[in-house]
Amino acid sequence: MKISLNWIKDYVDLSGIETDEIVKRFNLSTAEIEEVEYMGAKTHGVVFGKILEVKPHPTNAHWHILKVDIGTKTLQIVCGAPNVREGMVTCVATDGGCVNGFKISVAKRGDIDSEGMCCSSAELGIGSDNDGIMDLVGDYPIGTDIKEYWPVDDIILEIDNKTLTNRPDLWGHYGMAREFAVIFDRPLKKIDVADLSRYNALKKISIENKSKNCYRYSAISAENITVKKSPDFMKIRLTYCGMRDINLLADLTNYVMMDVGLPMHAFDNNVVKGIKVVDSHEGTKMLTLEGEEHTLPENAVTICDQGGEPVAIAGVKGGLKSGISDSTTSVLFEAAVFNSTAIRKTSRKIGLVTDASIRYEKSLDPEKTTLALSRMIKLLCDIDSGAKVTSALSDSYDYHYPKLSIEISPKFISNIVGENLEEERVVKILTGLGFDVKTSKNGLVVGVPSWRATKDVSIKEDLVEEVARMFGYDNIEPKPLKFEAVPVALKRDVLLEYESKKYLAEKYGATEVHSYIWNYKDFCEKHKIEHPSYIKLMDSSNSGQDSIRSKLAPTMLKFFEENRNSLDDIRIFEIGRVVTGLDEQKLAIEKKHLAVLLASQTDSEEKLFNEAKKIVVDLAKTVVGLDVNLKRGETSSYYHPVNSARVVSRTDDFGEMGILHPTVKKSIDKRFNVCLIELDFGKLAAAPVYYKKPKMLSKYQQVNMDFNFLVDKKLSYGEFESTLSKYRNKISNGFELVDIYEDDSLGDRKSITVRFELGSFDHTLSGEEIEKFRGELIAHASKNNIILR
Amino acid sequence: MKEKINEIEKQFDEDSKNIADLSSLEELRLAYLGKKGKITDLMTYFRVVPAELKKEMGMLVNNLKNHIEESIAEFKQKLADKAVQEEINRAKPFDITLPVDTGVGSLHPRTIIQKQVVDIFSSMGFIIEDGNEIETEYNNFIAVNVPETHPARDMQDTFWLDNGEVLKTQTSAAQNRILRTYGPKCKVLFPGRCFRNEAIDASHENTFFQIEGVVVDENVSVANLIYFMKKMLNGVFKKDINVRLRPGYFPFTEPSFELDASCPFCGGKGCSTCGNSGWIELCPCGMIHPNVLKIAGVDPEKYNGFAFGLGMDRLVMIKSGLDDIRHLNAGEVKLLRQFKTKIN
Repeated sequence: MKISLNWIKDYVDLSGIETDEIVKRFNLSTAEIEEVEYMGAKTHGVVFGKILEVKPHPTNAHWHILKVDIGTKTLQIVCGAPNVREGMVTCVATDGGCVNGFKISVAKRGDIDSEGMCCSSAELGIGSDNDGIMDLVGDYPIGTDIKEYWPVDDIILEIDNKTLTNRPDLWGHYGMAREFAVIFDRPLKKIDVADLSRYNALKKISIENKSKNCYRYSAISAENITVKKSPDFMKIRLTYCGMRDINLLADLTNYVMMDVGLPMHAFDNNVVKGIKVVDSHEGTKMLTLEGEEHTLPENAVTICDQGGEPVAIAGVKGGLKSGISDSTTSVLFEAAVFNSTAIRKTSRKIGLVTDASIRYEKSLDPEKTTLALSRMIKLLCDIDSGAKVTSALSDSYDYHYPKLSIEISPKFISNIVGENLEEERVVKILTGLGFDVKTSKNGLVVGVPSWRATKDVSIKEDLVEEVARMFGYDNIEPKPLKFEAVPVALKRDVLLEYESKKYLAEKYGATEVHSYIWNYKDFCEKHKIEHPSYIKLMDSSNSGQDSIRSKLAPTMLKFFEENRNSLDDIRIFEIGRVVTGLDEQKLAIEKKHLAVLLASQTDSEEKLFNEAKKIVVDLAKTVVGLDVNLKRGETSSYYHPVNSARVVSRTDDFGEMGILHPTVKKSIDKRFNVCLIELDFGKLAAAPVYYKKPKMLSKYQQVNMDFNFLVDKKLSYGEFESTLSKYRNKISNGFELVDIYEDDSLGDRKSITVRFELGSFDHTLSGEEIEKFRGELIAHASKNNIILR
Repeated sequence: MKEKINEIEKQFDEDSKNIADLSSLEELRLAYLGKKGKITDLMTYFRVVPAELKKEMGMLVNNLKNHIEESIAEFKQKLADKAVQEEINRAKPFDITLPVDTGVGSLHPRTIIQKQVVDIFSSMGFIIEDGNEIETEYNNFIAVNVPETHPARDMQDTFWLDNGEVLKTQTSAAQNRILRTYGPKCKVLFPGRCFRNEAIDASHENTFFQIEGVVVDENVSVANLIYFMKKMLNGVFKKDINVRLRPGYFPFTEPSFELDASCPFCGGKGCSTCGNSGWIELCPCGMIHPNVLKIAGVDPEKYNGFAFGLGMDRLVMIKSGLDDIRHLNAGEVKLLRQFKTKIN
């Protein structure tokens, strides 16, 4: 919303305060000023002039050559406006002057000297009319600078509407002025209104309210309105505040709205003689002032005339037929307040957001209707002395907000703010903001003014805010908090999450990525990647991405696809959330997963697989402290049916890993070999860790002894290892793998070399002991088809 | 005898001038100190020396022998030094400017910055927690005092799910659980990912990160809130940052504030990062609304506290120098891997 400082100064004297200070204090105490515009700053040297003579231009049929009296002299001006005529008074920019940033100098226009420019109100930035030059009717002093006569110079503050969301009282200048008055400790002037009680004897307008969402409907009528144009100052203010000047009655409704913060509407009293407020039936049609037809949803608050014909969408827009035009002379003014949610819903449903609807959404104060009407009548009668009020103030006040009163002590306020606030100061601030403050034995009893009582202020803490913001948040000194020194609980999975990421980045050279929580349906379908989902977004505007993922792998594959043309080797990982099902209450079962993708154009699938296994085992062991292994078992269908596996510990299953299914691999990019890992990270991080005591070292000499066996090619190392381990001898400390060798010359066998460590804690081994071990081991092996080479 | 000794000494000094390498040095040694060397030779003369001169001559011979031995050792050392020097001169200089491949990957810039913030709050005794991304309507809205009629509960702003839950719209959704777990006296920090159903552009994402903090105790004040925020920002930017509060409005807090940090780049003078204002809007915050405490089973008459929701992504953009928020969720490996594992 734009506010005019000239307008504010009608109500509070801000003289002697720098604009920067005004902006800064308002920002810190009330709401955010997004922009400051210095209106009129780029306009100078513009005076009132009178056209003495109009002659055609010799070469341009649309132009005229004017003689214009500007008091001190007569200028020759070539003008392209269609509305020029002799005797017309207008605004003339003179040589060296400036019109809203456009510099004026003597120049030839079609070979004719032009010594200035006649201006339209739009060119000057003070009105919306750009159809012709200003046609001023009335007594304007020829030759006088327009800035001496009109308030062209003004400072406009554009306030961020979002920061006014909870302040229904700040949607007009009078409410804003109250803030400035308190911020700068200056008195707030009374708003000038007509006394409507003098019309009490006149007949009332019939108002029938059948909608519970219409809290108050007030109206008054007037006739014999002959003035059509608004006063210049009013047009300028409305223009500066971002509205269009239209005609007196339309401008007045806008002006009063910008003044007191309550939207108003004017009906042609010849069409609308009485008011019925109803909730609409679905499908009710309405032609609005702009000539657009809207179909109302069910239960939209609707204003109807005496005959039940809809004449306005309450709180949003008036209807065309009942609306005022330039020829209207009698009028019915509406000032009403509706339920904020009802107006917001109607506005959203029909897709029409107006100056009125954004105000009504904020829960306006019903007490304001009479203020708005009395202000309206005051302005109308001042401008058009012939205007005559034709009804008494008519009012249907059906919902009263409860009167609020809050007990609070200055000590409570001081404790929360963290600064000592004296009672005197608290009372002064609250009183200035319109609160009714009485002292009691427990502190203060604070009555909330009606304009703050619709939702904004209801509890003690709301009053703390009022006092603190006016005290100035920048006057609060930062203070540390005294706390009991107690040990802080450490969440293991939070700690391990960072450690795991760091491990993957630092040791395995992987890049961490962040992806969205939904599946990419198109991508998955294109490459036949299964992407089960247990939960969907209701709003499908997120096109093709409405199912919440249950696995990270498909998104990792999408990132792989997007990066594959810029890199030969890709290593990425993510720790992210997935939903793996719904519980009995239909709530999402959310898991934290870890996924790693290795892709390479040079490394074989087997090499990638072994690297991935190393990552899994290393991460589990080093970061978590857990021994994991791979086990054959079912994996997601995008994995290779043979070369994929479950990741397991002795007691738990943590997920899966493997190379890609050939179909998926070929579909995405056959140049790349790809291996994926996906683990339930939360489960991994929570797994119990068993600490193994280290093996003590013997002081007697240990002997290493290598054995080279031939086994069936198909025998896995795991099977070999467990078979060989079944032979036990107390001088053996176990064995480890040295090498596996495969060669055509070995036929359907392969060679496995292992190294045993032999020793004892109480003596040096004898040759016989070692020989005995060797013999027994070989015998055990050969019984199991493991032959010493 | 004496002449003979002098003659040998002279001869040695003369011969030793021609030493070029270890073999000629060895020849020299044998010629003087060997079995048939000149010193051994001299001993045959010694026998005929009169007894009264034996002592003197013996000393002279000994001196000569020592002189020769020392000289030879000295030559040997010189030759060794020379050989080392030649080896050094022959060495091929390495190219010390060659690039190295550390093989280090990268953390997401959010992870890096989040860790910095987490470390600062850990050091001040905060518990570091975690929250779900999918929340019930109760946790996301009702428990944090968002009324039924609030626009945030419309479809337009929130991703509603078909089971009635929502993608959490703010980290405060975890407040209720956290206050129930650790309250009423607690200091907890909980980073998390949040979602808003809105159009994406260079400065708006529908998926973004926040870091929420809550402190609940007896007599917590706005002054305390400012203190913690300032300490955190000083730590993150590693310099003295001013903070200021402006009025804000959020249902979960009362009073509510928008917290601005003085621009760390221009020090408040105004630059492109802060849009020439000197301030950067970073963190909605406020004193926890008594209804929120009450719903979480904390007595608002006895305890109060503050909460903040730091806009992590904004902080990440400022610190990392990224100019478009969309990079954060785009998985562009070539861009991301430049971050390595540290950002200043």
